[in-house]
Amino acid sequence: MLLLEGGRVLCPDGGIDALRDVLIGDGQIVAVLLPGEGPADVPRFPCHGRCIAPAFVDLAAQLGDPGFPWREDLASGSRAGAAGGFATLISSPATLPVLDRGAIVDHLVQRGRVAPGARVGVAGALTVGGLGQELAELGALAAAGAVAYSDGGAPVADAGVLRRALEYARPFGLPVIVRPGDPSLEQHGVMHEGVVSLSVGLRGVPEAAEEVGVTRVLALARATGARVHLSHVTTARAVAVLRAARAEGLPFTAAVPARHLLLTDAAVADSGYETRFRLMPPLRPERDRLALVRAVEDGVVDVVSPDHVPLGRVEKELEFQVAEPGAVGLESAFSATYTALAGDLEKTVRRLSLGPAAALGLRPRVCPGAPADLVVLDTDWVGVFGAPIWSKGRAEPLQGLPGRGRVVATFVGGRLAFDAAGR
Amino acid sequence: MPSQRPLRQKDLLGLRGVPREQLVRILDVAAGFRQVNERRIKKVPTLRGRTVVTAFFENSTRTRLSFELAAKRLSADTLSFSASTSSTTKGETLLDTARTLDAMRPDAVIVRHPASGAPHLLAKHFPWTVINAGDGINEHPTQALLDMLTMRDHLGDLQGRTVAIVGDVLHSRVARSNIFGLQTLGARVVVAGPGTMCPPALAELGVEVRHRIDEVVEEADVIMMLRIQRERLGRAMMSSTEEYAALYGLDERRLARAQAHTLVMHPGPINRGVEISPEVADGPRSVILEQVSNGLAVRMALMYLLLGDEGGGDAAA
Repeated sequence: MLLLEGGRVLCPDGGIDALRDVLIGDGQIVAVLLPGEGPADVPRFPCHGRCIAPAFVDLAAQLGDPGFPWREDLASGSRAGAAGGFATLISSPATLPVLDRGAIVDHLVQRGRVAPGARVGVAGALTVGGLGQELAELGALAAAGAVAYSDGGAPVADAGVLRRALEYARPFGLPVIVRPGDPSLEQHGVMHEGVVSLSVGLRGVPEAAEEVGVTRVLALARATGARVHLSHVTTARAVAVLRAARAEGLPFTAAVPARHLLLTDAAVADSGYETRFRLMPPLRPERDRLALVRAVEDGVVDVVSPDHVPLGRVEKELEFQVAEPGAVGLESAFSATYTALAGDLEKTVRRLSLGPAAALGLRPRVCPGAPADLVVLDTDWVGVFGAPIWSKGRAEPLQGLPGRGRVVATFVGGRLAFDAAGR
Repeated sequence: MPSQRPLRQKDLLGLRGVPREQLVRILDVAAGFRQVNERRIKKVPTLRGRTVVTAFFENSTRTRLSFELAAKRLSADTLSFSASTSSTTKGETLLDTARTLDAMRPDAVIVRHPASGAPHLLAKHFPWTVINAGDGINEHPTQALLDMLTMRDHLGDLQGRTVAIVGDVLHSRVARSNIFGLQTLGARVVVAGPGTMCPPALAELGVEVRHRIDEVVEEADVIMMLRIQRERLGRAMMSSTEEYAALYGLDERRLARAQAHTLVMHPGPINRGVEISPEVADGPRSVILEQVSNGLAVRMALMYLLLGDEGGGDAAA
């Protein structure tokens, strides 16, 4: 047993936002108590001046395991997750081999349970090899313990295949994670197509690619009744399509990468082609950024994601158009979201915890009997985004930017998985 | 004789953001260097003992020859590196190749590379001067400088002049550098070409976008034709070469509508009968070969300004 003492407990679903002590034991929350009411003979974890909230959930972490140990592995990614306040990471099947067979999924599920930081769940591949052509054995993947289906960061290019995949996946009850996009429109594009790409002479991805992608995924979700999660929404146009679908009552979840709430495509020009700004989907102009912040505020977009795509030096110390797209995000996602939402803690917690958990059918709460997945936050901290500490990935686009709020501790099933003070 | 102080900056990566005074200074110094190239002994000692490397990661003959000759006429030692004969085909990264060059202690590296921003990457990592000789679809600043020098020779001040650029402006580094440089010098830039190569979005760069060449021929003081190569273009960028020639090729019939002083330019190599007819390319308004001569002077001027010793006023003496 451990008593998290003296903190402000924020549980949006349980209607709590007050000073409370939280007693945890056996991996669960035992009691939520008025200050001073906790048992005297229990060890204390001081949280004075801190905030205690449900820990965060990431639906699409690229952990490079198996296959890309220089980018990340289960242990380093899990630690980076815990350092970012995440208790649960769903490993994206962008691995080698791709997680398209029950046995490979089963193996990773076993290892994910004993990961040192955040627990790691597994998304199985939607199609064989993640190539978007043949259906993977979705039943076997579910039986092996996969909690979602996904083709990693690749949109399923063929709408006919996506339709069948959604139909086939639906009876297994797992959400299908899709990056909305259109490969034929994205082809050769290395940044957002607009005045900045014109100025710096880089080939652009037209914003229509994402609009086409979102429209297609939602149309097929409506037609098939499948549960979909749109993993990367980054344009005002895409948000407008989502807004209309929400008004209609279509069920879906959708995520914005946290860094897209703070950065714009101007960073590519201002930095002189720095490859940490080579991302997919790319950074967008200011008007899109503002639309994304609004959508996260009003809930049209219900998830903010770390969009964690760690890459090694061999993939980033290159010409901009040759470099692999992607950057780390687990360790900076909370500060980025909290900063972008101007210090609205409840919404930050909703978008990083409750929103993504809902996609998995979970409802994180701070109440007796709930798993002790808790994050302790210092909301007063003001500083500058630093380099990642725990991830093997080096590219952090937010590095050097001013930010606010930081994670001081993360409990995963009652286990202290991260402690900024090194306790 | 040029007697201007050297440029303060280390590199020339592009013309975007280069102030007017600097452009004018480069052009003035280049004009001065031209007479060196008319002498019997075409060599000055300005860069004696300095090493200039041309590192070309993309095929090019004329630009490399022009830079090498410019360096030699300034008495620099020159070293030529090209990717087809190098280890890049074995998968060495640009930075590793550059580390090898760096170990030879060059003073300047002239870079041509198929990736936009490649010269910028080198300029950040290494102490030597980098001159961009064309990067991807981004910029080709020395080409634009020689174009502007040629225009200035015939038209004087470019303020208020109209320059028409015809062709695949979207993917042309020559066009991009010219757009930036000409706008800084006060010229008006009009672009014309198919919708795929001159999309309306180009207007965000401050140019006027047209789709009919006849509209621009009449008002232009300069008509700059860009090389078109169907096989190098992306999927569905154009229909047939024949249709392109019919819609956008510059021939005598079209040119007859131009003003008497209008110049015809082309960065070369030209596709006779496609974007430009042989009669126009060899005709009285064509300054294509002057462009080549001016290229040498511009490149000498740049190397002098970027590498020359502080206060080296008698550089071309």
